[in-house]
Formats: sequence, C-alpha cells, structure tokens
Amino acid sequence: MRGAGLLFLAACLLAPVTAAEPLTASKPATMLRAVEDITLAAANHDMVLVKDQPIDTALQKRGFGNPHVRVLFIGSETAVRWAEAADPLLLNLLPLRLTLVEADGMVTVMTDDFEPWLRDFPEEPAQRLLKAWRVELREVLDDYAWQ
Amino acid sequence: MFIRFLRGLALATGLAAGTAAATEPPILTVTIEGRDINQTLVALHRAAAGHNYSYVRQQAIDSRLVPYGQEVRSVRLFYFCNMEKMDRALRLDPRAAQWIPYRITLVETPTGVDLMAVNPAWVALGIGNPELWPEAEALKRDFLSILDEVTL
Repeated sequence: MRGAGLLFLAACLLAPVTAAEPLTASKPATMLRAVEDITLAAANHDMVLVKDQPIDTALQKRGFGNPHVRVLFIGSETAVRWAEAADPLLLNLLPLRLTLVEADGMVTVMTDDFEPWLRDFPEEPAQRLLKAWRVELREVLDDYAWQ
Repeated sequence: MFIRFLRGLALATGLAAGTAAATEPPILTVTIEGRDINQTLVALHRAAAGHNYSYVRQQAIDSRLVPYGQEVRSVRLFYFCNMEKMDRALRLDPRAAQWIPYRITLVETPTGVDLMAVNPAWVALGIGNPELWPEAEALKRDFLSILDEVTL
C-alpha cells in the first residue's frame, strides 16, 4: 500500500505539470489540511464541495489498512446545466472528482483523466465542455498548491 | 536485451490497450421502459445488494449546488461499494479511486429510465496499469449484471 502510494507520488513529482494526465498538484500537508485547502481553492473558482468521501477511514473502520486515499466531489450548477445541454453522458463526470493521496507528508490531489473522454467524445460541444472543465480544475489545483 | 524486452513489453501492452480500448465502451447503459425513477431505485438497491455491494448514498445531480427544493428530480446518482474490492484495487494503484465509490446514474425520461455507469474497464485502460485490468474487468461484469437485473 505504502509502496503504491510512494510510486504514485514519485510519478507525480517527476512528471512535467503540463503533460501530466490526470492533472495533479502536490504539497506538504495532512489529509485534513488538504481537504480544507482544496475546499477553499474550489470556492475561489465558484465551485462547491459536494461530498467528502472518506475512503481511508471507511476502510480502516472495517479492519482494512489505511489506503491514505480520499475522494472529494466538487461542482457547480453551471457545470450540470452545461453538461445536460452538451451531452448528457458527460453527467457521469459530475460532480467533478478529486482524489487525494497522502504519502510521506505530502498530499497529491489528482483529477480524473480527461484524455480518454476527449478521445471518445469528439463532438464539438463535448470537447469544449471537457476542455473548459480541465482548465478550471487546473486552476483549482494550482490554487491548492500555492496556498 | 533488457531494453529490447522493455520495448517489446511496452509495445505489447500498448497494442493490447489499444485493441481493448477500441472495444471497451466508455459508458455502460440500459433503458427501462414503463417504470419511474423511484421504482428503478428500489430495484437497483436490491440488485446491488444481491451482488454483495453495500449502499453508500443517492443524491440529485445538483445536490448541494442548488437549494434542496429546487434540485432536479429526474437525474439521480446511486453510489455503492464493496470494501474488499476497493481495498484490493487501491492497494494495486491509488488511481483506481477514479471508479470509487461505484456509481450508477439514473435519468428519468418520458417513457422510462435510462441507467448509465462509467465502464471501469475503460477507465483502467486509460490508467494504463495492467495490474488493475482484472479488477476492472470483474467490476464491469458486476455492473452489467446489476444493470441487467434491474431491467427484469
């Protein structure tokens, strides 16, 4: 578990930011601090924390090891209405998911990978929407990293 | 020799992923005629439990984004999980969180309900870690089985 987390962290740190898919941002933090910071970063971009899914504590409570992974969902009403109009299949991406991975005192925040979506939803409205979400999420992640 | 082996492995993996990606649909869907969203949710609860999955929650697509009374009633998200499967996948690769918790989206139409789920096998191919593929493949089979059962 720890090995997988460290490998993931190393891959994130070594990958050039612009080429990284899914989008990632890392900084020294605890999981709780990271949740607070990402919530604030989302709010700075008119997005709301819809749900904090504490996978780490849920697994631990049931006797499994701590995966040091948590999932947050953030969204905006605009994103929902836009997806409904562009391609309802894209509703499957909403609210937008952020995966938090804690390893070695760092918390890496990662989006879903938009590349497969861009490849398999080639129509113009979907492309425009997916690219806009990716830009928004990049900004949220940058905001998180700089706080 | 080792480099050649790695190149061969990368090529084989790439080819396998490319072939499979071409055959894996991004979204798994079924349509149920003549039932409303609440009846379908009841059936979905039963089907998920029958396949050893626990209910996590359900919510409107715009939950917490608009006041409760103004939420869209025709699009609901049904979340479920299986702790053992989640634990196994996350041990292999934290990026498996891209399909956790498991979700089926319900969209009410004038004639029935459309159900859709992101295909975990398609997501796993995008992640590119072959160790995840058997987990994702098994999950996809379960999703299809659950969706199929809801239509009965």
